[in-house]
Amino acid sequence: MSELRISPIETRGVPGKKRYAMVIDLRRCIGCDACMTACKAEYDVPLGVFRTWVPYKVVGKYPTVRKMFLPRLCNHCDDPPCVRACPVGATFKVDDGGFILQHYERCIGCKACMASCPYNARFMLPKHRTYTDITRVVDKCTFCHHRVIQGLVPACVQTCVGRSRIFGDLNDPASEVSYLVSTQSTQVLRPEEGTKPHVFYIGADRNHTEIGRKIYDPQDVMESERAAFNKNS
Amino acid sequence: MGDYNVFHNMPWSGSYAIYFFVIGISAAMFFFSALSWYRTEFQVIRKPAFYISFVLLAGGGLLLIDDLTQPLRFLNIMNPAYLNFASPLAWGGLNLISFGLVSVAYFMMMRKNDEETSRKLAVLGALLALGLPIYTGFDLTVHQNRPVWNTPLMPVLFVALSLLSGAAVATFIAKGEKLLKMLRTFMLWSAGAVAAMLVSLLGTTAYGGSTSELTFMFMTSGTLGAIFLGLGILVGTVAPIAVLLTAYGRQQSGMMTAAGLLLVGGMALRYSILIGGQIVQSYF
Repeated sequence: MSELRISPIETRGVPGKKRYAMVIDLRRCIGCDACMTACKAEYDVPLGVFRTWVPYKVVGKYPTVRKMFLPRLCNHCDDPPCVRACPVGATFKVDDGGFILQHYERCIGCKACMASCPYNARFMLPKHRTYTDITRVVDKCTFCHHRVIQGLVPACVQTCVGRSRIFGDLNDPASEVSYLVSTQSTQVLRPEEGTKPHVFYIGADRNHTEIGRKIYDPQDVMESERAAFNKNS
Repeated sequence: MGDYNVFHNMPWSGSYAIYFFVIGISAAMFFFSALSWYRTEFQVIRKPAFYISFVLLAGGGLLLIDDLTQPLRFLNIMNPAYLNFASPLAWGGLNLISFGLVSVAYFMMMRKNDEETSRKLAVLGALLALGLPIYTGFDLTVHQNRPVWNTPLMPVLFVALSLLSGAAVATFIAKGEKLLKMLRTFMLWSAGAVAAMLVSLLGTTAYGGSTSELTFMFMTSGTLGAIFLGLGILVGTVAPIAVLLTAYGRQQSGMMTAAGLLLVGGMALRYSILIGGQIVQSYF
């Protein structure tokens, strides 16, 4: 893949550097939401916003229907548009590891990074939080940087009961993620944006990963739910 | 039925559209004030145009700062250790501040009747004023994932919209046949340029892939249809061009009617372009 590198910020395939990635095997995801819960607990993520979330779609025709889960999180892109968009360098990429992180004290709250993210992975923290005093700045998944540098895996990966989420260094040919990405058919979300996302999905359905025409005519119940949901944000 | 997703908010709300509108007028009004040093017909609006520009610049700046969730940290934009020049917002912040400083200096020199320095500052300020709509356009253009925004048209469209809205405001304070004739020309040509760019924008959006196509649907027959097509294009662009082309449009009252419609259109277009680029992704 290194021959596809076009920007000096990209670190995939660079010798001597780590490039962490996550593989999500959708065949193993049972939609238990344990990853969301672990993430919420790890970071005191406030109500109404998510660092990771698990949307689903009901697919098939009765009686052979099933729920297709698609766990979502920051894709820790190799060429992240959010880093470019931030006017004050509050969003940055860790060279060794590829984590996209935030300098919370620098963030001015202009939301340019949120506008630039094709994955809706960023959110604004509310005015009040229960245990944490970081408020009114943009936040997102950090790939559990604080855990990974201590040799642990992210909280969502550790808690995943089906071992659907696998985490590791893609630049290490002996890692499980390298093995999976090189041997399995994987998809990334919105590859057409050229962001080079580092969350890979096994068994993703295009009907689920792409924006469908159905949104043009959303059901009334969805819109009333959206209005109720936004009341608290 | 039975699908579930987290609801995402649009990052940039309608207040940004008000900022784009206000700052566009401010830039054009400064330009007209600067033009007065080189075109005699504009002399009569030299001071009023500048005052309007300055008040709108101050108001727009405050609006922008107020829209930040950490308003006091707008000072970070001036910290060289923090500035990220890959972001158009950083350039925009510097452009805005330098335009403000030049505006203050221009005011002082005008008060002192220092014609030579005023002329120089007018040229410098006009160049910085031109930068304002250009940077606001770039603010949108650089987001590769956003339909409507991610087109090279945006900075040029915002310059045309700025000139159009500014000329419309100037019509209300203009005196003298020559000046009115000039402003009518400005309005006609900039509205014509906006109309041509909108046709191009609609074409590329309609044929730009599934996300763009959906955005096109939202902006024409969907929730934004009345604002974009109705107010923005029909009421705010086509109708004033038609009025300006008639005999009535050559009189000051006709020009004022067209100017009012252009202002409505300018605001509606900015709003629908801003929101249009964000609707589809809020469902992803």
